[in-house]
Amino acid sequence: MAAEPFYLGAGSARRFCLYHGPATGVAPCGAVVYVHPFAEEMNKSRRMAALQSRALASAGWAVLQIDLAGCGESAGDFRDAAWDAWLEDVELAVDWLAERAGFRPWLWGLRGGCLVAVEAARKIGGGFNFLFWQPVLSGKQHLQQFLRLKLAGELVRGDSRGASEELSRAMAAGEIVEVAGYDLAPALTDGLAAAALTPPGRAGRVIWFEVSTREGATLAPAALKQAAAWTAAGYRVATAVTAGPGFWQTVEVEEAPDLVAASLDALEESCRG
Amino acid sequence: MDTKKELLDILDEILGLNGRAAQLTADSPLLGAIPELDSMAVVAVLTSLEERFGISVGDDEIDGATFATVGSLLEFVEGRLAA
Repeated sequence: MAAEPFYLGAGSARRFCLYHGPATGVAPCGAVVYVHPFAEEMNKSRRMAALQSRALASAGWAVLQIDLAGCGESAGDFRDAAWDAWLEDVELAVDWLAERAGFRPWLWGLRGGCLVAVEAARKIGGGFNFLFWQPVLSGKQHLQQFLRLKLAGELVRGDSRGASEELSRAMAAGEIVEVAGYDLAPALTDGLAAAALTPPGRAGRVIWFEVSTREGATLAPAALKQAAAWTAAGYRVATAVTAGPGFWQTVEVEEAPDLVAASLDALEESCRG
Repeated sequence: MDTKKELLDILDEILGLNGRAAQLTADSPLLGAIPELDSMAVVAVLTSLEERFGISVGDDEIDGATFATVGSLLEFVEGRLAA
Protein backbone atom coordinates (compact mmCIF):
# COMPACT_ATOMS: atom_id res chain seq x y z
CA MET A 1 0.00 0.00 0.00
CA ALA A 2 1.32 3.44 -0.93
CA ALA A 3 2.16 5.92 1.79
CA GLU A 4 -0.20 8.85 2.18
CA PRO A 5 1.55 12.26 2.20
CA PHE A 6 -0.22 15.14 3.97
CA TYR A 7 0.36 18.22 6.09
CA LEU A 8 -0.49 18.49 9.77
CA GLY A 9 -1.18 22.03 10.95
CA ALA A 10 -1.16 25.23 8.92
CA GLY A 11 1.06 28.22 8.21
CA SER A 12 4.33 28.24 10.09
CA ALA A 13 3.14 25.18 12.04
CA ARG A 14 2.66 23.16 8.83
CA ARG A 15 4.42 19.79 9.14
CA PHE A 16 4.94 17.33 6.34
CA CYS A 17 3.85 13.80 7.24
CA LEU A 18 3.83 10.41 5.56
CA TYR A 19 1.23 7.95 6.82
CA HIS A 20 1.72 4.26 6.16
CA GLY A 21 -1.60 2.63 6.91
CA PRO A 22 -1.65 -0.97 8.19
CA ALA A 23 -2.15 -3.59 5.48
CA THR A 24 -5.65 -4.96 5.23
CA GLY A 25 -6.15 -8.64 6.02
CA VAL A 26 -3.58 -8.58 8.84
CA ALA A 27 -4.62 -8.14 12.47
CA PRO A 28 -3.63 -4.60 13.53
CA CYS A 29 -0.70 -4.66 15.88
CA GLY A 30 -0.05 -1.14 16.98
CA ALA A 31 1.25 2.23 15.88
CA VAL A 32 4.67 3.81 15.49
CA VAL A 33 5.81 7.44 15.15
CA TYR A 34 9.19 7.86 13.49
CA VAL A 35 11.46 10.67 14.68
CA HIS A 36 14.22 11.43 12.19
CA PRO A 37 17.82 12.31 13.03
CA PHE A 38 19.57 15.64 12.86
CA ALA A 39 20.56 17.56 9.69
CA GLU A 40 22.48 15.54 7.08
CA GLU A 41 21.85 12.25 8.89
CA MET A 42 18.16 12.74 8.10
CA ASN A 43 18.87 12.88 4.36
CA LYS A 44 21.16 9.87 4.42
CA SER A 45 18.59 7.75 6.25
CA ARG A 46 15.44 8.53 4.24
CA ARG A 47 15.57 5.24 2.40
CA MET A 48 15.95 3.16 5.56
CA ALA A 49 13.09 5.02 7.23
CA ALA A 50 10.89 4.29 4.22
CA LEU A 51 11.91 0.61 4.11
CA GLN A 52 11.14 0.09 7.80
CA SER A 53 7.86 2.00 7.62
CA ARG A 54 6.68 -0.13 4.69
CA ALA A 55 7.76 -3.36 6.38
CA LEU A 56 5.84 -2.44 9.53
CA ALA A 57 2.76 -1.34 7.60
CA SER A 58 2.58 -4.61 5.69
CA ALA A 59 2.71 -6.48 9.01
CA GLY A 60 -0.28 -4.54 10.37
CA TRP A 61 1.29 -1.50 11.99
CA ALA A 62 0.21 2.10 11.44
CA VAL A 63 3.31 4.26 10.92
CA LEU A 64 3.61 8.02 10.84
CA GLN A 65 6.75 9.82 9.67
CA ILE A 66 6.83 13.51 10.51
CA ASP A 67 9.34 16.10 9.27
CA LEU A 68 10.14 18.23 12.31
CA ALA A 69 9.95 22.05 12.13
CA GLY A 70 12.44 23.47 9.65
CA CYS A 71 13.36 20.01 8.32
CA GLY A 72 12.55 18.18 5.09
CA GLU A 73 9.28 19.37 3.57
CA SER A 74 7.92 21.05 6.71
CA ALA A 75 7.41 24.80 7.04
CA GLY A 76 10.28 27.03 8.08
CA ASP A 77 14.01 27.12 7.47
CA PHE A 78 16.41 25.21 9.64
CA ARG A 79 17.38 28.48 11.33
CA ASP A 80 13.79 28.75 12.64
CA ALA A 81 13.93 25.25 14.12
CA ALA A 82 13.63 25.25 17.89
CA TRP A 83 14.05 22.31 20.24
CA ASP A 84 10.74 22.94 22.01
CA ALA A 85 8.93 23.09 18.67
CA TRP A 86 10.39 19.68 17.79
CA LEU A 87 9.04 18.20 21.03
CA GLU A 88 5.63 19.70 20.23
CA ASP A 89 5.79 18.20 16.75
CA VAL A 90 6.28 14.74 18.22
CA GLU A 91 3.30 15.32 20.51
CA LEU A 92 1.24 16.43 17.51
CA ALA A 93 2.23 13.27 15.63
CA VAL A 94 1.47 11.03 18.61
CA ASP A 95 -1.99 12.57 19.09
CA TRP A 96 -2.85 12.32 15.40
CA LEU A 97 -1.70 8.71 15.09
CA ALA A 98 -3.35 7.55 18.32
CA GLU A 99 -6.62 8.99 17.04
CA ARG A 100 -6.22 7.50 13.58
CA ALA A 101 -4.91 4.04 14.54
CA GLY A 102 -6.55 3.55 17.92
CA PHE A 103 -3.24 2.59 19.58
CA ARG A 104 -0.87 4.60 21.72
CA PRO A 105 2.14 4.83 19.40
CA TRP A 106 5.63 3.53 19.97
CA LEU A 107 8.32 6.15 19.47
CA TRP A 108 10.97 5.05 16.97
CA GLY A 109 14.04 7.21 16.68
CA LEU A 110 17.29 7.15 14.77
CA ARG A 111 20.46 8.75 16.22
CA GLY A 112 19.54 12.25 17.48
CA GLY A 113 15.88 11.44 16.80
CA CYS A 114 16.04 9.14 19.85
CA LEU A 115 16.91 12.15 21.99
CA VAL A 116 13.97 14.11 20.56
CA ALA A 117 11.67 11.12 21.16
CA VAL A 118 12.77 10.63 24.76
CA GLU A 119 12.57 14.31 25.66
CA ALA A 120 9.14 14.53 24.00
CA ALA A 121 7.97 11.49 26.00
CA ARG A 122 9.17 13.17 29.19
CA LYS A 123 7.15 16.25 28.26
CA ILE A 124 3.99 14.39 27.19
CA GLY A 125 4.07 11.92 30.10
CA GLY A 126 1.99 8.78 30.48
CA GLY A 127 4.59 6.21 29.39
CA PHE A 128 5.88 5.09 26.01
CA ASN A 129 7.56 2.17 24.31
CA PHE A 130 10.68 2.97 22.30
CA LEU A 131 12.53 1.59 19.31
CA PHE A 132 16.03 3.05 19.25
CA TRP A 133 18.31 2.85 16.23
CA GLN A 134 21.92 3.64 17.09
CA PRO A 135 20.79 6.19 19.68
CA VAL A 136 22.83 9.24 20.54
CA LEU A 137 23.35 9.19 24.31
CA SER A 138 24.33 12.79 24.89
CA GLY A 139 22.98 15.84 23.11
CA LYS A 140 26.03 17.77 24.14
CA GLN A 141 28.44 15.38 22.44
CA HIS A 142 26.17 15.17 19.40
CA LEU A 143 26.21 18.95 19.04
CA GLN A 144 29.97 19.02 19.46
CA GLN A 145 30.37 16.43 16.72
CA PHE A 146 28.11 18.43 14.42
CA LEU A 147 29.97 21.67 15.05
CA ARG A 148 33.15 19.86 14.12
CA LEU A 149 31.88 19.79 10.52
CA LYS A 150 32.51 23.51 10.41
CA LEU A 151 36.06 22.98 11.50
CA ALA A 152 36.69 20.07 9.12
CA GLY A 153 38.96 22.02 6.78
CA GLU A 154 40.92 23.66 9.60
CA LEU A 155 41.06 20.36 11.45
CA VAL A 156 42.86 18.61 8.61
CA ARG A 157 45.26 21.53 8.25
CA GLY A 158 45.85 21.51 12.01
CA ASP A 159 44.73 25.09 12.72
CA SER A 160 41.29 24.54 14.20
CA ARG A 161 41.94 26.23 17.54
CA GLY A 162 41.16 29.79 16.40
CA ALA A 163 38.05 28.76 14.47
CA SER A 164 36.89 26.63 17.39
CA GLU A 165 37.19 29.53 19.82
CA GLU A 166 35.35 31.89 17.46
CA LEU A 167 32.52 29.36 17.13
CA SER A 168 32.17 29.03 20.91
CA ARG A 169 32.16 32.81 21.29
CA ALA A 170 29.45 33.28 18.62
CA MET A 171 27.22 30.62 20.18
CA ALA A 172 27.69 31.95 23.69
CA ALA A 173 26.66 35.38 22.35
CA GLY A 174 23.40 33.86 21.05
CA GLU A 175 24.31 34.29 17.38
CA ILE A 176 23.11 31.99 14.63
CA VAL A 177 26.03 29.93 13.36
CA GLU A 178 26.17 28.22 9.99
CA VAL A 179 27.53 24.67 9.89
CA ALA A 180 27.63 22.53 6.75
CA GLY A 181 24.78 24.50 5.17
CA TYR A 182 22.61 24.47 8.32
CA ASP A 183 21.91 27.64 10.30
CA LEU A 184 21.85 26.75 13.98
CA ALA A 185 19.90 29.00 16.33
CA PRO A 186 20.38 29.00 20.11
CA ALA A 187 16.71 27.93 20.45
CA LEU A 188 17.76 24.63 18.92
CA THR A 189 21.28 24.11 20.20
CA ASP A 190 20.48 24.95 23.83
CA GLY A 191 17.76 22.28 23.95
CA LEU A 192 19.89 19.73 22.13
CA ALA A 193 22.87 20.30 24.42
CA ALA A 194 20.66 19.68 27.46
CA ALA A 195 19.07 16.51 26.08
CA ALA A 196 20.11 13.08 27.33
CA LEU A 197 18.96 9.55 26.66
CA THR A 198 17.74 8.95 30.18
CA PRO A 199 14.52 7.08 30.98
CA PRO A 200 11.35 9.16 31.29
CA GLY A 201 9.19 8.46 34.33
CA ARG A 202 6.64 5.78 33.43
CA ALA A 203 8.32 2.56 32.28
CA GLY A 204 7.57 0.64 29.10
CA ARG A 205 9.56 -1.38 26.63
CA VAL A 206 12.79 -0.45 24.89
CA ILE A 207 14.17 -2.16 21.80
CA TRP A 208 17.70 -0.90 21.27
CA PHE A 209 19.64 -1.67 18.10
CA GLU A 210 23.07 -0.78 16.87
CA VAL A 211 24.40 -1.80 13.48
CA SER A 212 27.90 -2.92 12.68
CA THR A 213 29.80 -4.44 9.81
CA ARG A 214 32.01 -6.30 12.29
CA GLU A 215 31.32 -9.95 12.95
CA GLY A 216 30.33 -10.75 16.53
CA ALA A 217 30.10 -7.05 17.39
CA THR A 218 28.72 -6.03 20.75
CA LEU A 219 26.90 -2.87 21.76
CA ALA A 220 29.29 0.02 22.39
CA PRO A 221 30.31 -0.01 26.08
CA ALA A 222 28.80 3.43 26.70
CA ALA A 223 25.48 2.25 25.23
CA LEU A 224 25.46 -0.88 27.41
CA LYS A 225 25.90 1.26 30.49
CA GLN A 226 23.06 3.56 29.46
CA ALA A 227 20.77 0.63 28.63
CA ALA A 228 21.37 -0.70 32.16
CA ALA A 229 20.06 2.60 33.53
CA TRP A 230 16.79 2.08 31.60
CA THR A 231 16.49 -1.45 33.01
CA ALA A 232 17.08 -0.11 36.50
CA ALA A 233 14.28 2.41 35.91
CA GLY A 234 11.87 -0.48 35.27
CA TYR A 235 11.91 -0.64 31.47
CA ARG A 236 11.96 -3.98 29.68
CA VAL A 237 15.06 -3.51 27.57
CA ALA A 238 16.25 -5.67 24.68
CA THR A 239 19.53 -4.76 23.01
CA ALA A 240 21.15 -6.24 19.91
CA VAL A 241 23.65 -5.51 17.18
CA THR A 242 22.57 -6.29 13.63
CA ALA A 243 24.81 -6.59 10.59
CA GLY A 244 24.90 -3.55 8.34
CA PRO A 245 26.58 -0.27 7.51
CA GLY A 246 26.15 3.00 9.43
CA PHE A 247 23.74 4.16 6.74
CA TRP A 248 23.12 7.60 8.36
CA GLN A 249 26.72 8.64 7.75
CA THR A 250 28.06 6.65 4.80
CA VAL A 251 29.28 8.55 1.74
CA GLU A 252 26.80 6.69 -0.49
CA VAL A 253 23.21 5.94 0.55
CA GLU A 254 23.27 2.44 2.04
CA GLU A 255 20.71 -0.05 3.34
CA ALA A 256 20.78 -2.30 6.39
CA PRO A 257 18.08 -4.91 5.65
CA ASP A 258 18.96 -6.99 8.74
CA LEU A 259 18.08 -4.03 10.95
CA VAL A 260 14.67 -3.71 9.27
CA ALA A 261 13.97 -7.42 9.72
CA ALA A 262 15.15 -7.48 13.34
CA SER A 263 13.13 -4.37 14.23
CA LEU A 264 10.01 -5.86 12.69
CA ASP A 265 10.55 -9.14 14.57
CA ALA A 266 11.06 -7.35 17.88
CA LEU A 267 7.93 -5.24 17.49
CA GLU A 268 5.91 -8.22 16.31
CA GLU A 269 7.07 -10.24 19.30
CA SER A 270 5.89 -7.44 21.57
CA CYS A 271 2.34 -7.60 20.28
CA ARG A 272 1.80 -11.20 19.22
CA GLY A 273 4.00 -12.79 21.88
CA MET B 1 39.97 -5.70 21.60
CA ASP B 2 41.80 -5.65 18.26
CA THR B 3 42.08 -1.89 17.86
CA LYS B 4 43.61 -2.04 14.40
CA LYS B 5 40.86 -4.26 13.06
CA GLU B 6 38.16 -2.08 14.60
CA LEU B 7 39.79 0.99 13.06
CA LEU B 8 40.03 -0.60 9.61
CA ASP B 9 36.39 -1.70 9.87
CA ILE B 10 35.36 1.88 10.63
CA LEU B 11 37.38 3.23 7.68
CA ASP B 12 35.96 0.58 5.37
CA GLU B 13 32.40 1.28 6.43
CA ILE B 14 32.46 5.08 6.31
CA LEU B 15 34.51 5.40 3.14
CA GLY B 16 32.60 2.63 1.36
CA LEU B 17 35.77 0.69 0.51
CA ASN B 18 33.93 -2.65 0.14
CA GLY B 19 36.51 -4.65 2.06
CA ARG B 20 39.55 -2.91 0.58
CA ALA B 21 40.48 -1.56 4.03
CA ALA B 22 41.48 -5.09 5.07
CA GLN B 23 44.47 -4.81 2.72
CA LEU B 24 45.75 -1.60 4.35
CA THR B 25 48.91 -1.83 6.44
CA ALA B 26 50.39 0.56 8.98
CA ASP B 27 52.37 2.24 6.18
CA SER B 28 49.35 2.77 3.92
CA PRO B 29 48.81 6.49 3.27
CA LEU B 30 45.30 7.83 4.03
CA LEU B 31 44.79 11.58 3.59
CA GLY B 32 45.49 12.53 -0.01
CA ALA B 33 45.80 8.87 -1.08
CA ILE B 34 42.21 7.69 -0.56
CA PRO B 35 39.93 10.04 -2.52
CA GLU B 36 36.90 9.14 -0.39
CA LEU B 37 38.66 10.55 2.68
CA ASP B 38 37.73 14.23 2.35
CA SER B 39 37.43 16.60 5.29
CA MET B 40 33.79 15.61 5.93
CA ALA B 41 34.75 11.94 5.98
CA VAL B 42 37.52 12.77 8.48
CA VAL B 43 34.81 14.20 10.74
CA ALA B 44 32.64 11.08 10.31
CA VAL B 45 35.60 8.83 11.15
CA LEU B 46 36.30 10.87 14.30
CA THR B 47 32.66 10.61 15.40
CA SER B 48 32.72 6.84 14.93
CA LEU B 49 35.99 6.50 16.82
CA GLU B 50 34.55 8.51 19.73
CA GLU B 51 31.33 6.50 19.89
CA ARG B 52 32.93 3.10 19.36
CA PHE B 53 35.89 3.46 21.69
CA GLY B 54 34.15 5.75 24.20
CA ILE B 55 36.82 8.42 23.83
CA SER B 56 36.49 12.16 23.45
CA VAL B 57 38.72 13.98 20.98
CA GLY B 58 39.46 17.68 21.33
CA ASP B 59 39.49 19.55 18.03
CA ASP B 60 42.96 20.92 18.73
CA GLU B 61 44.42 17.46 19.34
CA ILE B 62 44.44 16.36 15.74
CA ASP B 63 45.73 17.61 12.42
CA GLY B 64 46.50 16.30 8.95
CA ALA B 65 49.44 14.30 10.29
CA THR B 66 47.08 12.25 12.47
CA PHE B 67 45.37 11.04 9.31
CA ALA B 68 48.58 10.67 7.26
CA THR B 69 48.75 6.87 7.44
CA VAL B 70 46.90 3.96 9.02
CA GLY B 71 49.78 3.72 11.48
CA SER B 72 49.58 7.37 12.57
CA LEU B 73 45.83 7.16 13.11
CA LEU B 74 46.15 3.88 15.00
CA GLU B 75 48.85 5.37 17.19
CA PHE B 76 46.56 8.29 18.01
CA VAL B 77 43.64 6.00 18.97
CA GLU B 78 45.86 3.71 21.05
CA GLY B 79 47.28 6.75 22.82
CA ARG B 80 43.76 7.90 23.72
CA LEU B 81 42.73 4.45 24.91
CA ALA B 82 45.78 4.29 27.17
CA ALA B 83 45.17 7.78 28.57
